[in-house]
Amino acid sequence: MKYLKTLLAAGAMSLASLPAFAQQDITWWDFLSGGDGVRMKALIERFNEEHPDIKINATTLEWGVPYYTKVRTSVAVGQGPDVMTYHLSRMPLGLEENVLDVISDDDLATAGLSKDDFFPAAIAAASDAEGNLHAVPFDIHSIVLYINKSYFKGSRFLDDEGNLTGIESLADFEEALALAKENGSETPVSYATADDGSTYRVFFTLLKQQGGELITDGEVLAGDNLDKAANAIEIMTNWHKQGWQPEQAEYPASVALFTSGKSAFHMNGVWEVPTLVDMSSKGTLGFDWGAVQIPTLLGTTATWADSHAFAIPTGKEMSPEKRAAVMTAIGWMEKNSISWASAGHIPAYKPVATSDEFGQMEPNATYSSLADTAVYDPRSPIAGVASPVYDATINIISPAMHGYLEPAQAAQQVKDELQSKIQ
Amino acid sequence: MKTRKLENWVLGIGSLLAAAIWVFPLYWAFITSIRTEERVVSEGAGVIPDEFNLSSYLAAIFDTKLLTWYWNSIGTSVIITLVVIVSGMMCAYAISQMRFPGRRLLYGVVLASFMVPSQALVVTQFILMNDMGLINTWAGIILPQLIVPVVIIVYKQFFDAVPKEMREAVVLDGGGDYTLLFKIYLPLNWGITTALAIITFISAWNQFFWPFLVITTENQMTIPVGITQVNDAFGVYYARLMSVALLGAMPVAIAYLVFQKKVTEAVMISSGVKG
Amino acid sequence: MAMITNRRREVAVAMTLIAPFVLTFVLVFLYPTIRMIELSFTDAPLIGTGEWVGLANFKRLLTDNLFYTSLKNNGYFVLLTVVPTTALALAIAMMITRLKGPLQALILALFFLPYILPVSVVTQIWTWMLDFQFGVLQPVFAFFTGKPVPVFKNPYWVMPTVATVTIWWTNGFNVLLFIAGLRNISSDYYEAAALDGATRWQLFTKVTWPLLWPVTALVLTLQLILQLKIFDQIYLLSSGGPFNSSYVLLLMVYREAFQLNHGGYASAIALVLFVLIVVVSVLQFQLLRAGGNKQ
Repeated sequence: MKYLKTLLAAGAMSLASLPAFAQQDITWWDFLSGGDGVRMKALIERFNEEHPDIKINATTLEWGVPYYTKVRTSVAVGQGPDVMTYHLSRMPLGLEENVLDVISDDDLATAGLSKDDFFPAAIAAASDAEGNLHAVPFDIHSIVLYINKSYFKGSRFLDDEGNLTGIESLADFEEALALAKENGSETPVSYATADDGSTYRVFFTLLKQQGGELITDGEVLAGDNLDKAANAIEIMTNWHKQGWQPEQAEYPASVALFTSGKSAFHMNGVWEVPTLVDMSSKGTLGFDWGAVQIPTLLGTTATWADSHAFAIPTGKEMSPEKRAAVMTAIGWMEKNSISWASAGHIPAYKPVATSDEFGQMEPNATYSSLADTAVYDPRSPIAGVASPVYDATINIISPAMHGYLEPAQAAQQVKDELQSKIQ
Repeated sequence: MKTRKLENWVLGIGSLLAAAIWVFPLYWAFITSIRTEERVVSEGAGVIPDEFNLSSYLAAIFDTKLLTWYWNSIGTSVIITLVVIVSGMMCAYAISQMRFPGRRLLYGVVLASFMVPSQALVVTQFILMNDMGLINTWAGIILPQLIVPVVIIVYKQFFDAVPKEMREAVVLDGGGDYTLLFKIYLPLNWGITTALAIITFISAWNQFFWPFLVITTENQMTIPVGITQVNDAFGVYYARLMSVALLGAMPVAIAYLVFQKKVTEAVMISSGVKG
Repeated sequence: MAMITNRRREVAVAMTLIAPFVLTFVLVFLYPTIRMIELSFTDAPLIGTGEWVGLANFKRLLTDNLFYTSLKNNGYFVLLTVVPTTALALAIAMMITRLKGPLQALILALFFLPYILPVSVVTQIWTWMLDFQFGVLQPVFAFFTGKPVPVFKNPYWVMPTVATVTIWWTNGFNVLLFIAGLRNISSDYYEAAALDGATRWQLFTKVTWPLLWPVTALVLTLQLILQLKIFDQIYLLSSGGPFNSSYVLLLMVYREAFQLNHGGYASAIALVLFVLIVVVSVLQFQLLRAGGNKQ
């Protein structure tokens, strides 16, 4: 009898463990293209090779509004992926939409992780008001200032080692722009002026550098923040009027302006670092380049930043085995995020971020100080990637700086538009 | 007489010129699609074809899910066309040839629904499809497109015009209404049937808004929705975009050029300007 | 007795014949319409249930600036498309009917071709044609205005440009209708008028125009209804911007429902659009019929 019981138990156990031998297919959604996309695809490929029992089937969707609309709708109807990339700036909106499942400490343990492995700020950004984790932070990324040094040879803006120097105010920066223009730069500072994300990042950086706040206690651009926003738009409008920034540049065009040597500066995310590293090592770049933290133009040191994270959608019935497979994948990605760092990002996983290998990585080291002065989007359901704030940027700020509306009026419109979305 | 001839020449050349300008966008899309990406954005890329490079077509076919989208488009459009034609024909026959309570009401509803914008119903149609578990399925794409009142209206007019004597032989043989419909009324109206089928097929094939809402996975997308996915956020490749667009348009465009007369006729008949 | 059975049988057979259409109609048309009305009085999200909020959605609509902007843009778009496309189609149709043989077939095919393209093909081609940096039409803009114009980013250009693209896409259909209408006019009328020594202009105003009126009315009605439902081109070309200057009602429905998760509010907007289109099309139909009778 006892023998029989043991046999039955063993049988049941082997049955229970059987699914673990079957291959787990994981549906994975991300929005990573360009240099990011290449690196993520390589990571996924490596993961699949190292894990014969798990297979990640990745789909890359269009970044921004298309991606998040699709996530929102798919999750609502129970057709979401098993795991997806998510911006932490969008966390409040994601929580309000209820698309992000809680990731428990047990889940993290399955992945071989714990909350202590991450910077506290990142964990806070990925948690709800009760402290439940809804995403696993992957990186911190911000915008940086890319430089084409050839325009500043022999000027006061390059030090003896050929590093950018002497830009401590808006006046300094604009002097450099004027000089670059004189030296033949077609559009001295390029960024994607027709793109919501790029325009927003510059606007938000300029706002924060004045000590401004987008949202305070549920009020948009309260008090003198309105004037600061107007001033930020004014500055961008002026760059347009002076012919310093490209007119209606889409994202690829804005990058091409820099890589083709037509722009002395380029304001963009760290994720274009690999593009320049690759071109430089292949010898197709044609100039000396550098990347530094956005200089302090308006008194306060601040740079827009955001984080990529992994999240599990709600409302999906997932077997424990599949969930374990998903967490295994997330854990593996974190531990191998040094490859991700080569896409310019700063890893959110401390063991990698504090490793010697990362500390020596160039040019990340030259701007890693910005981790201390990075400013994130306000924590609000109207902020973050593909949020009403981004909509207002493409709908109001971008056309305004192209001369279709006065900066003060534009700031007021942004305020009204966003305030109406807050209730 | 001489002025008349001259006038014809002017008219002929003028209309050719106007038509050439009209189709220039298609010509330009084609020229772009057979160029290399570098050539497309280079300064001297004029309107004269100067390169013949099919690499962007290969990329369009092999790097996207174009073939899957074709399959989804063909499958759903064919099913929609079949169901719309058969159900419309049956309904029109009943309204035209039979007596039953609610007949006039039904026809009234058909006429009225002609004016009702189905686009305004997408929100609740989407909720309904979700309740039925049909998001991301062919059935989800197909169902809301099955209401095409104009098919019933046109069929009814044509069935009304069939002489009553044609019925008698069948009725004497003891044949019922189904026999009448499929042995007499349908064969007599093959012309209009193909016309309506063509119109239904084209509009189903070109449908964008609804499939765009109800499909969220690339594998279930139709051509019109799928080709908007090729525009990668961080890299625009114009030659590739144009290749995908032209390939997406190709099947119906070729069908149109082959069956031009039939399509022309179909449009005229289905809008009631030619009977 | 036999009569009654026959009658019953006929009704039964009729029911089976109309069933496929009626059932589908009830499922995907009638039921969603009722649900839309019901939802418009709630604060439901897209998926899930909400609370009854009475007229709150409609009150909010009346204070929503975007609603008025969208309504205005819908009207503006109708203005930009309906009459121009009708006039253009008539002109092209009159030109084509005067051509002969294969040339006529060729020209007609070329003008009709865009109509059979999927909307996203049309918008991708035009986005490329009008691209700010590399668009083949930008030299033309530069010639007339002095510099390239980012048409979909410029609040003044955006609607006329979307309208132009729309006319290019759909005009072939209207041309066909006019050609059919012109062919239906018996040549006797023209011969009689010509005998009276009528000029070309008189031929047009006294013969062609009045006899063509039913077709013109049809084209106007179809176009009006079609253009009020504008969504695809706007979404694909300009997404409603800049400054909401190309925002339209259906785009608002889409955004509220699918991007902001406001099923109830979206239903309220959809209901307004629904009623608007029904009222406008009924009104226009009556007006045009009255106008046609007077001729």
